Amino acid sequence: MDFFFNVISAQTFWKISLFLHFIVAVALLAAITLQSALVLAPAPAPQLAGASGGGLRPLLLSPPSATLIVILYVVQALLGAWVYIKYRTYVRIPMEGLRHWWTVGAFEFKEHIITMGLAVLPAYWFFWRDPASQEHATIRKWLTVFLMISAWYGLAAGHTANDFRGVGS
Amino acid sequence: MTQTLDINERVLHQEARTPTAATRARTTTGVGKLQIFVVTFSIAAAIIYTLFERWNWPLFTYHPAVNHLDLFRAPGIPEDGPPMFWFGWLPATGIAAAAVAAIATAFSAQSVQRATVFFCVLAGLWPIFYALGLYVDEVATFNAAFLRSVWVSGVPALAGAIAAAYLVSAERAARLWTSWLIIMPIGGQTILGYSLSLFLVR
Repeated sequence: MDFFFNVISAQTFWKISLFLHFIVAVALLAAITLQSALVLAPAPAPQLAGASGGGLRPLLLSPPSATLIVILYVVQALLGAWVYIKYRTYVRIPMEGLRHWWTVGAFEFKEHIITMGLAVLPAYWFFWRDPASQEHATIRKWLTVFLMISAWYGLAAGHTANDFRGVGS
Repeated sequence: MTQTLDINERVLHQEARTPTAATRARTTTGVGKLQIFVVTFSIAAAIIYTLFERWNWPLFTYHPAVNHLDLFRAPGIPEDGPPMFWFGWLPATGIAAAAVAAIATAFSAQSVQRATVFFCVLAGLWPIFYALGLYVDEVATFNAAFLRSVWVSGVPALAGAIAAAYLVSAERAARLWTSWLIIMPIGGQTILGYSLSLFLVR
């Protein structure tokens, strides 16, 4: 850590970390939201599917996409855990001092929803190994939606905390 | 000819989409060890994390202000700043859930599915009976303080879980099995969310 702080200030280092956390969040949200939208949308008629050929649908509803989402989710959780250290001392203490209890509570809930997302990741990955399997279509769909909700909640709570004290605030 | 091919393709596509009796049968018999491991891990992790958070059982405690790590729960002295337990709950949950999942792979899919019904119903009923006990104690005109004991609410929860696991058919337990993957994290979050209500009423 001392090496970094010789090159850049501690404040800049944490801002870069937070910005990286945001960039990965955008990538994760894009992937998981599109995948959720596709699993929630009715399947196209066979002839239409044949006509469209490629496109986003086969790309996003594939095992490599699910693996990428798993990787992004884990990387994002690790980055979140990293910036959480700064949040606990630099952000939460003044937040409590100013009695922003709703923001504190909402951020505490983010811990839990992200953990639940991490818990279901192995099952999510497993059921996306065979996207054509109708046997697991329902649970595959709801696990995807669950991960999407957790990712969006993470962004909303994180953004609120950032607005209190973070990049650009 | 083209139309015939189209129809054949549609029929084949339909067959691939509609679960047949054979497919349904596979749900109870063709469950591999990897599937048992990942499903059990995910369900167990949701339950165990909720318990570890509520009991505050971290594997370690991190003190960010002084960059110090202590084994298990160690709130530390006020001069050390706020302790962080979340980092400790995560590995504790991961290790415990992996152990449960590894044990589950030693059993048949049917046994695991029935055991999952037992543990999930127990995990669901216990807080419900506990909350009910608290409510009864508040409104009762007699002394019902004993209902505030977590162990008292455990008795009907255990009875309910045993009954559910005994009465559920193998087919229903198999059908329910993957549903617990959504039910338990949402249930856990409901409990954890309710515990955060103290922030919202301040």
